[in-house]
Amino acid sequence: MNNLLPYQDSILITCTIAAVALPLLAALVNFCLPVKSKVAGWVSALAILGSCVLAAKVFAGIWNNHDIHTQQVWFTIGSTKVFAGILLNNLSVLLLLLVSVIALPVHIYSTAYMKHDDRYSRYFTYLSFFCFSMLALVVVDSLVLFYAFWELVGFSSYLLIGFWFTRDKAVQANKKAFIINRIGDIGLLSAIIILFTQYHTFDIVTLFAEKGLISQSVVNNDLWIAPTGTLPVIWQYIACAGIFMAVAAKSAQFPLHTWLPDAMEGPTSVSALIHAATMVAAGVFLLGRVYPMFTQTELTALACIGCFTAFMAATIALTQNDLKRILAYSTISQLGFMILAMGVGAYSSSLFHLATHAFFKCLLFLVAGIVIHQMQHIKDDNNLDIDPQDISLMGGLRKRLPLTFITAVIAGLALIGLPLTSGYLSKDGILIQAFEWSDGKSIWFKIIPLTALLTSWLTAFYVVRLIVKVFFGEFRLLNIVPNIKEHITDGGWQYKLPLILLAVCCLFPLFSINPLSYEHAWLFNGLNISRLTKFESIYNLIIPVAVNVVSLGVMFFAFTIYSKPKTALFPQTGLFYQLSYNQWYFDAIYNRIIIKPILLLCRACFRFDRRIIDGFIHLLAHTSGYIAKLAMWTDRNIVDGFLHLMASIVQSIGNFARKFQNGKVQYYLFSMLLIVLALFILKILI
Amino acid sequence: MNILTLLIFIPVLFGIIIMLLPSSLRNSFKYITLLATLIQLGISIWMYLNFKTGANFGGINHEDQFQFVQKLPWISLNLGSFGKMQIDYFVGIDGISITLLVMTSLVMVIATLATWEIKSNLKGFFLLFLLLDMAVVGVFCALDFFLFYMFYELMLLPLYFLIGMWGGARREYAAIKFFLYTLFGSVFMLLVMVGLYLSVTDPATGNHTFNIVQMMNPANYSGNSVFSIAAHQTILGMPARTVGFVVLFIAFAIKVPVVPLHTWLPDAHVEAPTPVSIILAGILLKIGGYGIIRICIGIFPDVATNHAFWIGLLGVISILYGAFNALAQKDLKRMIAYSSVSHMGFVLLGIASQTAEGVSGAVMQMVSHGFLSTMLFFLVGVLYNRVHDRGINHFRGLGNLMPKYTAFVMIAFFASLGLPGFSAFVAEAFTLAGTFKSHNVNGLLPYWMAICGTLGILLGAAYFLWTLQRMFFGQESLKGGDVWKTALVDLNLREKLTLAPLAIIALVLGIMPSLVFDKVNDSVLALIQFLQAK
Repeated sequence: MNNLLPYQDSILITCTIAAVALPLLAALVNFCLPVKSKVAGWVSALAILGSCVLAAKVFAGIWNNHDIHTQQVWFTIGSTKVFAGILLNNLSVLLLLLVSVIALPVHIYSTAYMKHDDRYSRYFTYLSFFCFSMLALVVVDSLVLFYAFWELVGFSSYLLIGFWFTRDKAVQANKKAFIINRIGDIGLLSAIIILFTQYHTFDIVTLFAEKGLISQSVVNNDLWIAPTGTLPVIWQYIACAGIFMAVAAKSAQFPLHTWLPDAMEGPTSVSALIHAATMVAAGVFLLGRVYPMFTQTELTALACIGCFTAFMAATIALTQNDLKRILAYSTISQLGFMILAMGVGAYSSSLFHLATHAFFKCLLFLVAGIVIHQMQHIKDDNNLDIDPQDISLMGGLRKRLPLTFITAVIAGLALIGLPLTSGYLSKDGILIQAFEWSDGKSIWFKIIPLTALLTSWLTAFYVVRLIVKVFFGEFRLLNIVPNIKEHITDGGWQYKLPLILLAVCCLFPLFSINPLSYEHAWLFNGLNISRLTKFESIYNLIIPVAVNVVSLGVMFFAFTIYSKPKTALFPQTGLFYQLSYNQWYFDAIYNRIIIKPILLLCRACFRFDRRIIDGFIHLLAHTSGYIAKLAMWTDRNIVDGFLHLMASIVQSIGNFARKFQNGKVQYYLFSMLLIVLALFILKILI
Repeated sequence: MNILTLLIFIPVLFGIIIMLLPSSLRNSFKYITLLATLIQLGISIWMYLNFKTGANFGGINHEDQFQFVQKLPWISLNLGSFGKMQIDYFVGIDGISITLLVMTSLVMVIATLATWEIKSNLKGFFLLFLLLDMAVVGVFCALDFFLFYMFYELMLLPLYFLIGMWGGARREYAAIKFFLYTLFGSVFMLLVMVGLYLSVTDPATGNHTFNIVQMMNPANYSGNSVFSIAAHQTILGMPARTVGFVVLFIAFAIKVPVVPLHTWLPDAHVEAPTPVSIILAGILLKIGGYGIIRICIGIFPDVATNHAFWIGLLGVISILYGAFNALAQKDLKRMIAYSSVSHMGFVLLGIASQTAEGVSGAVMQMVSHGFLSTMLFFLVGVLYNRVHDRGINHFRGLGNLMPKYTAFVMIAFFASLGLPGFSAFVAEAFTLAGTFKSHNVNGLLPYWMAICGTLGILLGAAYFLWTLQRMFFGQESLKGGDVWKTALVDLNLREKLTLAPLAIIALVLGIMPSLVFDKVNDSVLALIQFLQAK
């Protein structure tokens, strides 16, 4: 099929395949290397560098140019042909470039971060494998392949969360992550099966293109009618619910978000790449791929859930003390924003936010990695029993880690969404469009944009809290253990270079020439599917001002509280504090209402198996045993008894008759006499 | 010499050699057996490569479309007024058998490699082992019901002794349970077989026949015979054909096993020695699935269609019930045994759907499960050989102690739980797709069955990952302390050589499922067409 394409296109396709395959190759090479080999890091880093360059070339060729779709038969089942192929459009090349560009600094950073690990080459095997799955996920054209790579990214995330598999927490976290993701997977699988039954194809283009099969189907009279078939309308809802489950699991949305905070047990570099920038965004990407499927009502439901997740996660982030956990909840919150944006129809803003968020959240995690690494060093050097991720022990690291501090501030500002940063462009876009969306709807719909607004202020608060607690004030660990040796630094170039690279990407120029208007961002325009000319609404002015003025106020407020040495702003026993600190008790609730009953059910099943089914079998066996015994008894006592009776009767008669024949002549004469007498008497009597 | 006949009887030839050799050469028996299975594997691969595909090689109900056929008159008795009794030695294969045959030969090689652990009474063991080998291969090839039944019953005997003599502590209980369960099924099968024989006449000779392919053609049933479609005969007030179907179905359902006829399986597995577990899970269960496709559905298509809902329901119940039970297990081998019940449920569900995707998925699942369960049971055997314990709670942190072993366990577990890239994923996904589609195509199964089936995939992840977490990860802690620690050495070369091909095959089939589907498709389409035409 390739040779039918123009020469340029086939080059682009080859580049794409190479970009995807390079990390796989690196993973295979690393798998064969000895576990401690230091070559592994460079193999993986070079591979991802290659992917990066190739992805850039593909991006340049496709973006705002034309789409490429090529496929060939993978296998035939029955009479259905299943195709495998590549689909390159604006969305996929953006993600292709984004993933490889984010992965590159993380790889460089990892070579230093994992330097002393015993299973160094395994780490890079897994990391490269992840990159392969993620890159493949964004370019494949068939839902079956999409599902396959969707699950493979989950699998590599499983391997990496549990990388330190001797830690109990880590292995429980990776199990939880995989199983919750599996819930999403079965949703996606069900959706794919439903779509296959309805449309007889797995091809994303045929299904979701502008004039695709999805757009030609209608819902009428409780029937979901497509050119290729008809199903009851309920299955349209179930398919969408399935997709949503998949999105919620991968992108950590309520109610399937609980795995992400636990996933922070993996190495921090992994959290930066997988659990902040790329994999968790795959859910949003999936929504982008199947967007035409959703009806207005379903989109509204999506918006509600995204909004709730954003708010809930932000409130939790306010009170956590674990550095990575705060960032994890912040990720959940920002992903909520993206889902919300998808729900309110801000398709391109959502993906825009995905891109900007990838950079600043990745940067924040790399910063956290450096801080945690240094705390770990202090812990190891002094044999302390502390949690190196606890921010209440940090403070004053500004002077000790100057570069880290500066980049952290840039990333933090981008996360809050202050002007001049990339976060401002994407987040304000979402907020503005959310308000525009709620216009003309009932007053209740206003709750959604207002909650989003509130959430962005909460974001400002927890970001400042985090930065102040870590970098400002004095080093609180010294208050607890005064005599510790500490010589902490930013680290080598493998640490510094990624930080600088990513920090540059957090600023506005990469995305838009105009730092204040999201509508001028090239990325936003490239993805805009509606292509409607936006009318200038009043929100374009009010929202950014309101958000940022209040944000600044909140930031100042937070700064003044937390830079004081004693910080007890809120009573730590209050209901809201407890709710937030205990993460809204989701884990406890799930444990009680889902996991425990299921385990009870399992045990009940097993008891049923043992007692009832096997019991019945044993009953049968015993019954036949008893019947057999009864038969044996009958045999012995009745049948044999009769025979024995006969035998003994014969014997006794014989014995009796024997008495007459004892060989004595007198006795015979006497008997004869007796018989003659007897006959004689009988004769007389008769 | 017909190649198929050679394939079936090669184990017997080598069995005779072993029988004639003196016991002083007992150490060579395993190599002789290995050679036999390797030759068998070679032949089956040759057949696979030379297997012709295309619409003219569908098989199923066309006798002339079977390949590698050999048909010889075997028993021919003149019964006077009853006509002539005609039993043929009739073997041949179509797309459904060929993939299972290759799978069987490979599993046999692996099982032989697992016999290294057997230490006592070697001559007896290998003789029975080779006899069993002949019987299972024969079952997949036989096209004469009498021949089929003979091979089918012939499997029981060696298995009973293999479990009962070389098994674990409760081996006698397990052996007798297994024996009675399966015998219960097959005794009634005999009656149906005789009934069928008396109903069907071979159009070529005019005699009654045991020919399975002829039994599929309604025209061959004589007018008023018991199983004639037109006659509507009854047995005990129930339609005769339904009774016939149910009896045959129960016989094969015991083998599959289908809940609630499954309880022999965990016991037999737990007590059987590793090679026998491998054959049980890898091959025997597939005979159940194969029998349902070839015999139950082939001979009674009308009943199968009418009762598809109940067959599908049993499939769903097996999937979920097996998975729930697996979650509750504390013994590793028993956990895997229940996971087999769950995975074989997909086979039943796919067959019940009577769609091309469903049936192909079911065959794929049989092939895939053949390799994966072999791998799983071999892995359990490795652990059990070293410390004679299988309690999940008795081990922790094996990952550090036996890294290579853990790597293979992870491959086997993830492949079994349906990770894409491995064979089980394609099998399960398409089985479910076929099941869901069924309502639109032929209206047999309701939509919800497929959705319930997906829950099985979720539970699969739960029990495998939980086991992985409990046994292999975390800080090292063993019930047996330092004694165990020294005993638990990592895989040796033989074990690695055994496991690696299985892992590679599972991967290759996952990436190139066409290796199976290309051979299966024509037969499945023929079967679907046959079912619709009935």
